[in-house]
Amino acid sequence: MEFNLSDNTTMVADTARRYLKDHYGFDTYMQQLNQLNHCDPSRWELMRELGWFGLPFPESVGGYGGDLIDVAMIVREAGAVLCLDPYVDLVIGPGKLLEYLGTERALKVLQSIVDDDERVACALYDYHAGYNILKPSLSINGSKLSGRKNFVPDGGCANRVLTTAMLGDELTLVLVPLEGCEVTRYRGLDGSRLADVLFDDVVIDEEMILSRGVKVERAVSKTVAWLQALDCARMYGAASALYQRTLDYAKTRKQFGAPIGSFQVIQHYLVDMFTDLQQLESMLFMVSVKADLDDTLEREHACSATKAYYADKGVKIAQQAIQIHGGIGVTEELDIGHYFRLMTYCSLTHGHGDYHLDRIAALGEECDRG
Amino acid sequence: MNLQFTQEEQEFQKTIRAWMRENIPEEISRISALGEMPEKSQQQQWEKRLGKQGWLAVTWPEQYGGPGWTATQRYLFDLERAMAGAPPVSPFGVAMVGPVIYTFGSAEQKERWLPGIASGETLWCQGYSEPNAGSDLASLKTRAERKRDHYLVNGQKIWTTQAHWADMMFCLVRTDPDAKKQQGISFLLIDMNTPGIEVRPIYTIDGHHHLNEVYFTDVKVPLDNLVGKEGMGWTIAKFLLTHERTTIAGVADSHYALARMKMAIDEAPYYIDKQQARRRVAELEVELMALEYTNFRTVAATDEGRPFGPESSGLKIKGTELQQKMSQAMVEMGGLMSLVWDSSSAVGNESFNHSPRRYNFLRACTIYGGSNEIQKNVLAKMLLGL
Repeated sequence: MEFNLSDNTTMVADTARRYLKDHYGFDTYMQQLNQLNHCDPSRWELMRELGWFGLPFPESVGGYGGDLIDVAMIVREAGAVLCLDPYVDLVIGPGKLLEYLGTERALKVLQSIVDDDERVACALYDYHAGYNILKPSLSINGSKLSGRKNFVPDGGCANRVLTTAMLGDELTLVLVPLEGCEVTRYRGLDGSRLADVLFDDVVIDEEMILSRGVKVERAVSKTVAWLQALDCARMYGAASALYQRTLDYAKTRKQFGAPIGSFQVIQHYLVDMFTDLQQLESMLFMVSVKADLDDTLEREHACSATKAYYADKGVKIAQQAIQIHGGIGVTEELDIGHYFRLMTYCSLTHGHGDYHLDRIAALGEECDRG
Repeated sequence: MNLQFTQEEQEFQKTIRAWMRENIPEEISRISALGEMPEKSQQQQWEKRLGKQGWLAVTWPEQYGGPGWTATQRYLFDLERAMAGAPPVSPFGVAMVGPVIYTFGSAEQKERWLPGIASGETLWCQGYSEPNAGSDLASLKTRAERKRDHYLVNGQKIWTTQAHWADMMFCLVRTDPDAKKQQGISFLLIDMNTPGIEVRPIYTIDGHHHLNEVYFTDVKVPLDNLVGKEGMGWTIAKFLLTHERTTIAGVADSHYALARMKMAIDEAPYYIDKQQARRRVAELEVELMALEYTNFRTVAATDEGRPFGPESSGLKIKGTELQQKMSQAMVEMGGLMSLVWDSSSAVGNESFNHSPRRYNFLRACTIYGGSNEIQKNVLAKMLLGL
């Protein structure tokens, strides 16, 4: 085994860190926090120029053929500075979905995401279906799509939406222009932009149906595996920032005439954060490889294990960071509480801890039967 | 980033698996399945078997009798050993005093002591803790007074695991009572058959006899049995704390425990909703995975020539916490079956019947080898700069 990042991946990570240092600070984040429109177009274009839009996609669509770990390192750095730009939601999510479908039409849309300013959101969840991405409550009857999708990341900033719906008993992926839909925008817990999209008997022509059946199920499952890994990358970035800030704080904040880091109880809390962080990093490396596997069982087991572990330990690190900071930790003014919200947010997307533990148990039974 | 074992490593693993299947006495694997521990004769028979194969002192350099394996091979060996139901080898000779002797000892000491450790012939115990020197080990008082041709040792050690089995003890003693706390300590090898040594048992809450008190009254130890120089004892003790130990996390044995738990789970009728039990097992499985991949990183780093230092304290903390959690889960899942004290009176699934004893035993694992709180102090100081 070998856990070193390749030169290429290291370069991607370094570039991301530099780019964010120059273009994204806590004040940028605070300005973006309550806005429901698309991020600053100049940053969006800079990210495209850095090659991030094509990073994990095939050369045939203008991509660079990079790996999940490359994207994960960008997302990690973004998490470390609370960046709210919708790189994952408007590029990686829809991009992987289209790539996995692999049809000519899908790849054409992907190409326009990479090269032009095509903004496609993914609508995978609705209130009734819970975390079940393979059984949405939306359906296509005759040629009309009806139903509602909730919690659509950046649904209000996209031109089109990739939505799942049932056509008979087949999972179907439809690409719908958003202008014909009723879109309600709202702020997410972490400050990102969510939307509900109401499809009120939207007329669907054959062109809009990208694919159906097993192929869509596979594409959706594999894409969500990527998104789960990237949730964890974002959480890792936030966790390491929290750890570093809290350690620095413990060395400078004085009470009883001494830095609070000289007290054994604080030292032990920080060591707990350190050892958890070390294990979180191990899991991130692991999932960055395994979330891209074709073997469903191994892929899903790895994703669920990592998501469950992050939901537990990532959140714990954020809670502990607040506790060690004391009062200032719960203020809107300091970044600590904002990281905490990010951590909570990511612990709930694409399956929460209990959901993933149940999935591991279920996969285990499948293994035993197999 | 590569999470695969190489072709050769996989072949190696297969070889070990086959060998284990052929060579582990059935009696021993049965004891492990029950969560019990072997008797001295069983343990030593097993260690000698490994020694004969050249697989006992697996971390040692080849020149002293090690097999010349990589850290990855050692990990795979340990995993196959545990999954086959064999107990871990006693750490005192192979993992502790052996490396001290080949690192700090004289040529004569190496020749005299190492072969017996590598073959499993000589059993060792560790004389560190004293009644008033536990976590504060450096305040130990056992005195070794230098005479013309020997050290005269007086004092008491406590919590000495397997002292009643051991032929030899490696011991921290105070040779200079006037020097500062850490500086007056020396590292001495003591033959347990020397007159003046008395070993008294301490029975632990698992109902077994692992621990002892050891009393020294005018015990004469040859001057040649000093390792390193006088006053170097503390340096040597610290060396051992951070000495590369890629098995410190107990990943292999936790894998075995998890496998047993999964096999037993459906035979425990003590849940209204069995899903709750399955979720709990899944939670432990996830924690084991996080520990395992962290351990893989230390193994890979060791093979790349960058062994972990104080980070291994983190593995000790996480590994022992997990062992305790798993054993507790096993007891609770067993419900009424876990009420039975002796496995000879087993009712139902026998894996559950002995789990309370193992659970009791494992309360010690966050205390021995430097309590987890002491490990955290070490990490706070050495890595966090606090």
